[in-house]
Amino acid sequence: MKFNNNIPIYLQIIESIKQDIVVGKLKTGQKMPSVRELAGILKVNPNTIQRVYQELDREKITFTKRGMGTYVTEEEKTIRSLKKEISQKIILNFVEGMNKLGFSNKELINALKEYL
Amino acid sequence: MITLLKYEIYRRWKWLVLRYAALIIIGAILLNRASFPAYQYEFIGESIGKFALTSLVIFIIIIVEGINVLKEDLFEECGYLTFTIPKKGRTILASKLVLLLLQLSFWAIISIGFGSIFFSKLPYHEIVQIKTQINFYFFPTVLFLLTAFFNFVLMIHFSLTLTKTLLVNKKYSGLLSIGIFFFLVYLIEKVYYGPFLNQIKHISIEIGSRSNIDLLSGGYTAVFLNVILIAIFFTATSYLLENKINI
Amino acid sequence: MEQILKATQLSKYFYQKKALDKVDINIEKGKIYGVLGPNGGGKSTFLKIAAGLLKPSQGEITIDNKNPGVYTKSIVSYLPETNYLYKWMKVKDALNFFKDLYADFDTERARESLKFMELEEEEKVTSLSKGMMGRLKLTLALSRKAKLYLLDEPLNGIDPISREKIITSILDSYNEKTSILICSHLIYYIEKLLDYVFFLSEGRIILAGDAEDLRNKRGMSIDKLFQEVF
Repeated sequence: MKFNNNIPIYLQIIESIKQDIVVGKLKTGQKMPSVRELAGILKVNPNTIQRVYQELDREKITFTKRGMGTYVTEEEKTIRSLKKEISQKIILNFVEGMNKLGFSNKELINALKEYL
Repeated sequence: MITLLKYEIYRRWKWLVLRYAALIIIGAILLNRASFPAYQYEFIGESIGKFALTSLVIFIIIIVEGINVLKEDLFEECGYLTFTIPKKGRTILASKLVLLLLQLSFWAIISIGFGSIFFSKLPYHEIVQIKTQINFYFFPTVLFLLTAFFNFVLMIHFSLTLTKTLLVNKKYSGLLSIGIFFFLVYLIEKVYYGPFLNQIKHISIEIGSRSNIDLLSGGYTAVFLNVILIAIFFTATSYLLENKINI
Repeated sequence: MEQILKATQLSKYFYQKKALDKVDINIEKGKIYGVLGPNGGGKSTFLKIAAGLLKPSQGEITIDNKNPGVYTKSIVSYLPETNYLYKWMKVKDALNFFKDLYADFDTERARESLKFMELEEEEKVTSLSKGMMGRLKLTLALSRKAKLYLLDEPLNGIDPISREKIITSILDSYNEKTSILICSHLIYYIEKLLDYVFFLSEGRIILAGDAEDLRNKRGMSIDKLFQEVF
């Protein structure tokens, strides 16, 4: 995973994990790598991973079983709203990007229709 | 301390074996030559001279090495290793001094051993002449010389260590060490041995009257004084190594 | 959080030069710290004082609540920048030396690490390349189960392959009971490892903070921040 050192690392990892869940790379109920394992894979400080898991737990995207590990949520609802959250962000970026280029909202809908 | 001593020996064991083997072999060869019946007299004199020279060379090597074992730890990069291991200053110093002691003892035994064999080969009248001259002085003198040279090395160790607490750069440390060393020598001559030298003069006057006890006590007093100096410099150097040096 | 190292108003003077000037640093257990700054800024000096090689001119430093001495040397694993191994050693001699003199040395781990670092035990220390020497030194330092690791420029002059191995090794050593202090001016490669950073220049702490916080607040990487500050 390529990191942008200008933004907090833990945020980038959270985003990446959220994407993986929505896309299906990480299955519902799947066990996440341990803090140490993930830190080793990504070559980041283990405390950063700790923070990532804490944050994901807080957002109920994952849950941690004491002594057993961290697991992806089994709640379909959560994953769906996550998908929506991420897609909203992509749409936002698209619209902002197109607006910056000078496309009005009507024009960008047409451009999209053409493309598709 | 034993662990450190083990490494001091291990790192140069080949050289150690070489130097004592050389001393023994050369001694044996020279002894062998001196045993030829013809031209015996010249050979003995020559052989004694050559052996004495070899012995002296080995002695100098031992002393110089004894100085360098501490010098390189103080002034070279390996000091970073020596002075971060969890050992007290006195332990580190002791390991080096025990090696020196062992070497001096070994050297002395071999040299004196061969030396006495050589002397026994001399014509009778020569032996008698030499024996009366050195008999009473022999053992204390040998002990005095060994302790004196041991102390010499230790004083140089102290000078080097003191230099390392005062200066961190390598630039002037050579000069400073030499300066400190000679200052110490001067101090010791003036203050310490001064009174003792008087006692020596006192004793030599009494040789004629055969007061053996005085002669012996004179010799051993000197050794005792050396031992005190050794104790002083060992303590001082250990303290500096542990608490004051800047590597 | 428990502290393993506490430096209070720590100063070190060399003749007229102030290598460290009233530095206050606290190191907590279970974190990885970066002491960053330009060469000659005081980083190495700080580490050497913590390792017990230099004595403070003023101020105090304690490790596990003790002044630097025999005890602290037994719980601190110091990795100097220089080639400090005895020149007569082979790799196996260095291993045995550490095993004999440090009670916390994990020989098994060291051997595994040597394999990972692709170092041969029979090699003479003097014939190692700079990269190999860097890997060896790190292996020795990290194979100790110390409470505090002081790594002085572990990545200097190291080739990219060795660099990756070194970073992996550092991560492997981490646990909640130990602390790691890394000194470097090559921040780009290590910044993802750091919990907290100190910027040290001309003997003073110019800036200190949690790495992620700094990224957040300043909107730039620690590396860029470093370039800005210096």
